Amino acid sequence: MINKQDFKKINDWLWEIPKSFKQGMRVPVRIYVSEKMLDDIFRDKSIEQIINVSTLPGIQKYALAMPDMHEGYASPIGGIAAIRISDGVISPGMQGYDINCGMRLLKSDYSEKEIRPYLESLATEIQKEVPSGLGKGRQTKLSISEIDKVLESGAKYLVKQGYGQEEDIESCEANGRLEYADAGAVSSHAKDRGRDQVGTLGSGNHFLEIQKVAEVFDERASKSFGLFKDQIVIMIHCGSRGLGHQVCTDYLREFIPLMENKYKIPVPDREFACVPFNSPEGQRALAASAAAANYAWANRQMIAHFVRKAWGSVLGEKTSPLVILYDVAHNIIKKEKYLINGEETEMAIHRKGATRAFPPGHPEIPEKYREVGQPVLIPGSMGTASYILVGQKEGEQAFYSTCHGAGRTMSRHQAVRTITGQEVVKNLEQKGILVKCRSLRGIAEEAPLAYKNIDDVVDVVHNAGLSKKVAKLVPLAVIKGE
Amino acid sequence: MQKFEILKHPADLKIKVFGKTKEDLFLNALLAMEEGLRPELEGKKVKREIKIRSFDLSALLVDFLSEALYLIQINKEIYNNIKFKKTSSTGLEAELFGQKVERFGEDIKAVTHHDLDIHQKEDGSFEATILFDI
Repeated sequence: MINKQDFKKINDWLWEIPKSFKQGMRVPVRIYVSEKMLDDIFRDKSIEQIINVSTLPGIQKYALAMPDMHEGYASPIGGIAAIRISDGVISPGMQGYDINCGMRLLKSDYSEKEIRPYLESLATEIQKEVPSGLGKGRQTKLSISEIDKVLESGAKYLVKQGYGQEEDIESCEANGRLEYADAGAVSSHAKDRGRDQVGTLGSGNHFLEIQKVAEVFDERASKSFGLFKDQIVIMIHCGSRGLGHQVCTDYLREFIPLMENKYKIPVPDREFACVPFNSPEGQRALAASAAAANYAWANRQMIAHFVRKAWGSVLGEKTSPLVILYDVAHNIIKKEKYLINGEETEMAIHRKGATRAFPPGHPEIPEKYREVGQPVLIPGSMGTASYILVGQKEGEQAFYSTCHGAGRTMSRHQAVRTITGQEVVKNLEQKGILVKCRSLRGIAEEAPLAYKNIDDVVDVVHNAGLSKKVAKLVPLAVIKGE
Repeated sequence: MQKFEILKHPADLKIKVFGKTKEDLFLNALLAMEEGLRPELEGKKVKREIKIRSFDLSALLVDFLSEALYLIQINKEIYNNIKFKKTSSTGLEAELFGQKVERFGEDIKAVTHHDLDIHQKEDGSFEATILFDI
């Protein structure tokens, strides 16, 4: 059993569990958390799980966890493993099933005052245009050859097909496409699951919100990002849907025997299902994971297309368009370069419930933001604030990663027993927030009381220097797909 | 005999499943997963065939549920009965019987191997703990 005395306080926002704490740890664990929030993380198995991450072959410096960490499987949600490619592993389980679950933010030219009269119609129209995919879904079903194009070209393919503009691509992490994707590494099961889900939200904590910019913290970055107080923006949270879930399922099935028999890699949890990064199997998993990530970018591109369609139909076709601020993943494996022992080293950064946050001047962020840093999109729990942050130089200590959301503290089951969907809707309506959701149970499961306070989470990453606050967003309408 | 119970987990669906036999356990695990999907039934009867080979018994349980989840999601249907044709500790062949679904109330992303436990008790019955990612 671990307790607070086993933690070494590095500073007010960072705590360390030394490598000597448990046999098998290859690096220390570092958790970004305030003393106030520290007690929360003892409530579930997330500490045990991040210690498990520190045992992965090839992991460098620290196994890292963010303040929104909570119990998951293999890694906790909010975990980061930076693994050296030359002698390390690739772990599909460390990435998780919702490959490239992520955020996209669309900004408008309008202020809250101008949009208020249209809010109800906008929310209704958006809900109609963007289904959850749990019912009849999109009535269009892509062919396998179209799915292959989505897998290899991501959001780019959809823009070419007319579902967006060239500028959309520039505003996505990796330009909405990882070039090392290979559709041939994705099973027919996964492709089948993806055929009618491009442009669907999914369920659980995935959502669309019409929000307004409530507070601006950083004038310079806000100007660069094109943000102003009271501006209406639209936030999209979703991932690679059934296709990504199946890709991860397939590779776990294949890799567990390989890990245990062929490569004999001892891990504390089978769910890591890792193989050497540079093995043929590892390379195929990377190509499949990239393909699923591309599918997720295409999914958010298609959702943005239908949100724009709803926007145009309510406000008139000549209304000023919705422009993408940024699109960023928070469940992904990426190849990135870092200095390890003074040498530039190629690393496989596994982020599970953590957002990439590149600093000013980084070549991989769009030129228009290069002077200020990468925009980081952090959703709060339903009905609470969300944040736009910006990457910092000091973030290198965390392999340029930051938090990804509020982080659950209460089970869905307990949330449903604690509060009804009607009560949640009433509470939100009292705050002037519209709710468009088919399932009242789903609303209760996502009640704000089931989550950590987003303001506390963001304060930690801001004060730790991983990413700085640019603007605070508050919701005007919460939309879950039909 | 109780078929399954829901255990405490901060984010996902964790269940304990019981079965008089291994086959019974597999059926009850399937029923528990389907309850998690909160299906709204359409009614038309369906039948599917399933054939799984796995690494060991734990993996077989996950692979079976994963394959069923795939069939459930692409065909929009659920299964309430299984006719096992062959079973061993590393494989099974079976027919699944069920009905079409109008829509699901919740999504289950996957069946995980995390903390998976399947064992036979002294009285010969089986018990398993499974975590689903939702």
